[in-house]
Amino acid sequence: MRITLQEELDQLEAALQEEGAHVLRALRGCLNALAHSDVELADEVIAFDDEIDAAYLGIEEGIQSLLARQTPVAVDLRLVLAILHNNLHLERMADYCVTIAKLTKLVHDVPHDQTLLEGFEEMGQRAEEMIRVALDSFRDRNAPRAESLVDLDELIDRANRRVVGHVLSLGGDPAVREWGLRMIIVSRCLERIGDHAVDIGEQTAYLVSGEFREFTDASHHDRTTPRDLS
Amino acid sequence: MEEMESASAAPAKIPGMDEKLLAERAEGRPYTSREVLFDVSSLNVRYSDVPALKNVSLQIYKNFVTAFIGPSGCGKSTFIRCFNRMNDLIPTASVEGTILYHGIDLYGNEVDPVEVRKRIGMVFQKPNPFPKSIYDNVAFGPRVLGWKKNLDDRVERALRHAALWDEVKNRLKASAYSLSGGQQQRLCIARCLAVEPDVLLMDEPASALDPISTTAIEDLMHDLKREYTIVIVTHNMQQAARVADMTAFFSVEVDEERDIRTGILVEYDETPTIFTNPSDKRTEDYVTGRFG
Amino acid sequence: MSVPAAALGPGPRGAKVRGTLFYVLLLVAVFIGFLLLGTLIVDVLRKGIGYLDPTLLTEPNSSNPENAGAGPAIRGTIYMMVLLLVMVVPVGVGTAVYLEEYADRDRWYNRLLELNIQNLAAVPSIVYGILGLAFLVRGLGLGRVLLAGALILTLLVLPTVIVASREAIRSVPDSIRQGAFALGATQWQVVSRQVLPAAIPGIATGSILALARAIGETAPLLLVGALTFVTTNPSLLGAFTALPIQIYQWIARPQDEFRLLAAAGIIVLLAILLTMNAFAIWLRNRYQRRW
Repeated sequence: MRITLQEELDQLEAALQEEGAHVLRALRGCLNALAHSDVELADEVIAFDDEIDAAYLGIEEGIQSLLARQTPVAVDLRLVLAILHNNLHLERMADYCVTIAKLTKLVHDVPHDQTLLEGFEEMGQRAEEMIRVALDSFRDRNAPRAESLVDLDELIDRANRRVVGHVLSLGGDPAVREWGLRMIIVSRCLERIGDHAVDIGEQTAYLVSGEFREFTDASHHDRTTPRDLS
Repeated sequence: MEEMESASAAPAKIPGMDEKLLAERAEGRPYTSREVLFDVSSLNVRYSDVPALKNVSLQIYKNFVTAFIGPSGCGKSTFIRCFNRMNDLIPTASVEGTILYHGIDLYGNEVDPVEVRKRIGMVFQKPNPFPKSIYDNVAFGPRVLGWKKNLDDRVERALRHAALWDEVKNRLKASAYSLSGGQQQRLCIARCLAVEPDVLLMDEPASALDPISTTAIEDLMHDLKREYTIVIVTHNMQQAARVADMTAFFSVEVDEERDIRTGILVEYDETPTIFTNPSDKRTEDYVTGRFG
Repeated sequence: MSVPAAALGPGPRGAKVRGTLFYVLLLVAVFIGFLLLGTLIVDVLRKGIGYLDPTLLTEPNSSNPENAGAGPAIRGTIYMMVLLLVMVVPVGVGTAVYLEEYADRDRWYNRLLELNIQNLAAVPSIVYGILGLAFLVRGLGLGRVLLAGALILTLLVLPTVIVASREAIRSVPDSIRQGAFALGATQWQVVSRQVLPAAIPGIATGSILALARAIGETAPLLLVGALTFVTTNPSLLGAFTALPIQIYQWIARPQDEFRLLAAAGIIVLLAILLTMNAFAIWLRNRYQRRW
């Protein structure tokens, strides 16, 4: 029943998953570009963002049209709203990848600290894993798995906090210091990508339960270690 | 190291939207890949000199579902009945203007309304099965046309197309009145399909049915439009939003002095546009429910 | 808001009394009707039961009441009914179809036609008799034959058949016609394949009732020449008689036995009438469509 509605919902979800696949490629690309100071690759990542933006706009318009015409309710409505939010989260993640690529281009000829770069590769892999878990658990409507994203995010957050300390220890060379400051931003980008993945997980929980609830709330969080202001 | 491919030149995929239409849109020339089935120009309909419909011009595209919406009295039922010359049966009705169907003016002098109705079928608001068996209902059209051979096959095919075969295949000789309302309406659709028309006109086909039967009919329209062109009149604009590819909004012009209400075409566009960003304020007032 | 129990109690006595009185008066009216009818039937049965035997049904009339029968009369009645059926149904139904499906009500001649049909139904049967005598028996030179009798009865009941057929045709909902037209049927196909088949129960009922009325008509038959003493079997262009005539003739005879014979004849006539009416009602109930 309601063939048209079902077809359109399926198409929207497929488009979202495809957008997610694009974001993963963009992330892998910018991480590789960062690790090898590959300017050409960075340029490709930046150009690729157009495709992700087009997908974003397509999904937005599809949602608008579907809401106007099909008046979905109950779980269908929650699915559409979840796709709407996740669309934005994916697009923001892609923007962060572009930022990382641009920063890579900016400091490509400056000597870097290998330890930090290896750290970023690890953070990046963590982020990639989070995106995959977020997309898969959304596809499978698996709320418990979505909630596990909180723990994965914790790892990235901790790594992010350690970066500042590490940068401070890099020494006085102005070029290296500049590189270090830019890398703090890169770290921040990766941390934000992780946060957006958690947000996607929250949408999965909303879709399944009908209640919207943040997994963790930064403003009420109790911590024993001093909080980083990054 | 993974190679990144450059952004492709293909247009953005909008989920739920026809690929062909997207391609047209990207190239800036909407509507051209569509085949025009009916070309209506300056159609005016009067009932004994009282204008009921004024100066309507639009094109109906092949294999599309086109919906006519609007408040009561706006002439949409009168309009749809022009397409199969059913207004001829009303002695006081007179029609001016042209409707080109495959290039032939339906109101031309040499055109026989009976022939027109064989190619352009109609389903009515209240299901009106004949007081005969299910089989005889569907077989009536072919028999009238003189198609005596393979009647069983034709009946089965029509019932299958109308998604009714499985429910009635074991009781084809039962009276048509033993069916539920939704089934009777699908029987009427099968009856039309049995004469293998080009076009199906539906005048408020689901307004006398319960919600589940309505959804069944809407799903059926989605299937049927692959082979037929469908035009529907509906006073339920959500239904138009759900099923139609193109939507035409009609409104009423009131002549205060002579107390005459005449229907006019206000806007005709793709359904998503009508329901997300219509060009005319009257259309927007109607679809948002702010109309009086 | 509370409602006192008294407000829901019995209403004013006056209205109740009037209601009961009205009901009683209705019962009285029904009773009187049945009483009169019952008296008639009982009287006829008492008188005629003795003469109900095969002689009555087969033998021709004779001056001896013991041998007299209504054979030719009964055969004449049946023959005329058959002729009547064959003539009145096509003409009546055809007219009804024309008026309901084809005629344009705005035309003057159609309105004239409708008016005249309604008038014809009210004309006294003796006038039909005179008409028959003048135009059929004398004018056309048919003579006093069975055919003339049948023709005049046809004219007599034609308005009834037309009206009944029109009602039956009108009761077929317009949505059926619209559905048939929309499938590409011509007007004739719509009428012959949808409207008439659906109207047949009503038409049949109306025709049988018309026939039942015709059976009892005496006056026009007398004028057109139904003889009272016929011994031969009826033929189309031969002398004829009918059951009501025979009964009338017997009553006029001096011997008392003939009156009893007449009563027997009445019983036969009533039996035929009752059967026909019952059949018509059964037909109507069985095939009546609830649209």
